[in-house]
Amino acid sequence: MTTRREFLKISAAVGGGLTVGFHMPFASAQPQVLSPEINAWVLVRPDERVIIRYARSEMGQGSMTSAAQLVAEELGCDWKKVHVEYVDTNAQVRRKRVWGDMASVGSRTIRNSQEYLRKGGAQAREMLVAAAAKGWGVEPGKCKAANGVISGPRGRKTTFGKVASAAAKLTPPENPKLKDPKDWTIAGKPIPRVDIPDIVAARIRYGIDAQLPGMAYAAVAQCPVFGGTVKSVDEAVIQGRRGVMKVLKFDDTVAVVADNWWRAKEALKALPIEWDAGKNGAVTSDTIKEFLRAGLDAENDVVVAKQAGDVAAALKDAKVIEAEYYTPYLAHCTMEPMGCTALLKEGRLDVWTSTQNAEASHAAAAATAGVPLENVYVHRTQLGGGFGRRGGAQDFVRQGVQIAKAMEGTPVKTLWTREEDMQHDFYRPVSMTRFRAALGEDGKPVALYSRVAAPSIIATLLKLPLKAGIDPQAVAAIADQPYQIANVRMEYAQRNPHVPVGFWRTVGHSQNPFMRESFIDELAHAAGKDPYAYRRALLPADSRERKILDATAKAAGWTKSPAKGVHRGIAVTEAYGSYTSAVCELSVSDKGAVTIKRLVLGVDPGHAVNPDNILAQMQGSSVFMLSALFWGDITIKDGRVEQSNFNDYRVLRLAEMPKVELVLAPTGGFWGGIGEPGQASIAPAVCNALFAATGKRVRSLPLNKEGFELA
Amino acid sequence: MKRRGFLAFMGMFPWAASAQSVRHGRVKLELPVLADNGNSVPMKVTVESPMTEADHVKLVRLISERNPERQMAVFHFGPRSGAAEVTSRVRLAGSQTVTAIAEMSDGSQWMDSAHVQVTLSACVDES
Amino acid sequence: MTARIRIPKEAKRGEVIRVRLLVQHPMETGYRLAPDGVKVPKNVIRSLVCRYNGVEVFRAEMSPGIAANPFLEFPIVAAESGELEFTWVDDDGLKGRATEPISVAG
Repeated sequence: MTTRREFLKISAAVGGGLTVGFHMPFASAQPQVLSPEINAWVLVRPDERVIIRYARSEMGQGSMTSAAQLVAEELGCDWKKVHVEYVDTNAQVRRKRVWGDMASVGSRTIRNSQEYLRKGGAQAREMLVAAAAKGWGVEPGKCKAANGVISGPRGRKTTFGKVASAAAKLTPPENPKLKDPKDWTIAGKPIPRVDIPDIVAARIRYGIDAQLPGMAYAAVAQCPVFGGTVKSVDEAVIQGRRGVMKVLKFDDTVAVVADNWWRAKEALKALPIEWDAGKNGAVTSDTIKEFLRAGLDAENDVVVAKQAGDVAAALKDAKVIEAEYYTPYLAHCTMEPMGCTALLKEGRLDVWTSTQNAEASHAAAAATAGVPLENVYVHRTQLGGGFGRRGGAQDFVRQGVQIAKAMEGTPVKTLWTREEDMQHDFYRPVSMTRFRAALGEDGKPVALYSRVAAPSIIATLLKLPLKAGIDPQAVAAIADQPYQIANVRMEYAQRNPHVPVGFWRTVGHSQNPFMRESFIDELAHAAGKDPYAYRRALLPADSRERKILDATAKAAGWTKSPAKGVHRGIAVTEAYGSYTSAVCELSVSDKGAVTIKRLVLGVDPGHAVNPDNILAQMQGSSVFMLSALFWGDITIKDGRVEQSNFNDYRVLRLAEMPKVELVLAPTGGFWGGIGEPGQASIAPAVCNALFAATGKRVRSLPLNKEGFELA
Repeated sequence: MKRRGFLAFMGMFPWAASAQSVRHGRVKLELPVLADNGNSVPMKVTVESPMTEADHVKLVRLISERNPERQMAVFHFGPRSGAAEVTSRVRLAGSQTVTAIAEMSDGSQWMDSAHVQVTLSACVDES
Repeated sequence: MTARIRIPKEAKRGEVIRVRLLVQHPMETGYRLAPDGVKVPKNVIRSLVCRYNGVEVFRAEMSPGIAANPFLEFPIVAAESGELEFTWVDDDGLKGRATEPISVAG
């Protein structure tokens, strides 16, 4: 507790901008105003508590901790005194984006912010040391900082807390010196995540947990057919229902606002809504497949994404190996469904939501409410899962704010049911790829042709122009495949069915490595070669792909025969700046029941900030990808999604989780991501193992439609 | 935008006779710090000038870092303008720095830049 | 193409007034996908001129970088009473014209 005298001393130091007493309902962070800010990233309290600011999001991927480790490492503070605090988006706007990017997408948090975070920590350390040195009348170069203690010549000592106010007044050094990762004592260590105590003690708050006095609740129904609209609503039917406050009708959405969510949801269920399905009421999964297959055969509306040599000549008169692969739409299924709580009152907008980009939520909220950016406050919480659903598409924020605008003065919590969430997603795109290859005398491929027919997330969701018509996500891992093949031609046929698509964890690398690595396996088999040796021979000797492939194969004991009835599959791919490989060992019963014995996952992310968190991410990736692999299939009938809940969209259960062995092999010199790359090699490793076990080549997912089930 | 990158960027435009001669100042380009999507972003550019026959702003160019067409607009002024100022709404293909370059009647060129974070496209923007 | 012009009702001679113009036009970038998935061809207003009693006082050369339904606000010196005339043409060759009387006292 700060005494009045301390308060006055500190507030004098902070100077202008003291805003005590501002209204911040449901605040998860302490007011920051009583601690001097050394720089935008670091505050030090007189009680030695170190506040490290975190700009991006925490959805269980652990970056909140890793990012703080990087700052703390350079700062030289006592990790036990560290408290991580979210960046306030309103402050971000008023301070002209001093904290930079706030998005946790694309596995970019650590690799894109590591340099300026470390600089922020180092800068703060140099200022604290300079302040102590100044107070002692000695050269800063003669002082050292470690564990929150500054030591000077002749045994002088002081602590960060004691010199923080003085340090805050100094000019920040432009180019602070950074530590060599070899000398790391905080970063690089498997430190427990900072949010674990709160999670375990049920103190953690997610967007869905927002509670405000006088809050109303909204249940929503969006047109089941994408692109359709609301034709009519018969409000009279629910007239007078207890607790119902308002019925709102938007273009494609109907909302019922009530005094509790159950009443809102039940009233919505009873409300007769007539939908106009629009043009897509007859679309089915089969018509979508036909549409994509036509794209594979089309002569028009196709672009070349990569070309070398002369594929046509090389394939002519050769024995051509041809295959077509298919991957379905997938749903995100975050444990916390979509929702947003908002209050628009007297020109000020407050928003509580789980988001992967608080800045995007801020901008979307401001635009929807018609309120200046400076009058919007997005209250930060953890996310109950993101997986890409809560990054680019801020539809749930726009919707929540629209509803709050209609109920101006009253806070409204809009919450989707699981069914609504599953049927109004921005799905992992469907994709169909045709491969054609010819092998040389030595069995190596002399030519590789591929064409992907798939929707473009960038063109449809982001509505951005595509350079040369290529969507890099749609052709990821195929256009930039690493194998040394003389003649390649890679084409992309952008085909957009009416189903909305978005970024699903690992995006294009969630499906294309399955297709590519399975096809390479087909070539290895046609050449009569071992799949590991075959890949090895095609990868450049000094490539990081080859290094991680070797490390993973070694850890899996690839060169030693597995036990009887156990079969192996292998895969390798780069994704999000990291290099990944996987070996799967499994056995299959003659009924197609699959038992995964081992899943060996290798990753080279360049640097490893928190090895324990990397293991957790690999484990989580396994859950997510195995679920998709065995059962993931969003099917369309009458223009709408057929699945609704976990009964018809199955995910892995605890008892089914195989042991994941991690081969963490950072080779340094670069920074790769971790949130998404883990998934990339899993599907092909499993499917290649299935081929080794049964002779059946899986070219279409999910596995339960190909005669395989998890035992 | 770093100076070297800026010079290379300006070299693409034949009318920038000498990119080195474009100086910072006299121009104020106002754009919001954040934009939800890039479709309609309010923009205002103001140039200090007496706007007399002898000394006025001839034109202001608006240059995009990332749009397929880099030159977004050219606004022409003259002594009958009274002031050199224009407000409009621009379309941005992703987060980027927008630059306004004013050409004066004496041949000098002045500029200002502003960065807009288009949050919808954050998923594919390089940070 | 409809357009709305807003200027002060009355201006003093020599006063610098603000002229506001809003033109109804989609300003198609050429990258937008219609609901059927086909790209809508590029079509933007390229050149827009404001003449004050026949003399050009403002010109805007635009691109897809100007948002749909172009809005422009710019200053002119209120020199004399008369008429402001706006003319423009788009990529399809479609011409537009709008006028607004201007009343200057003193």
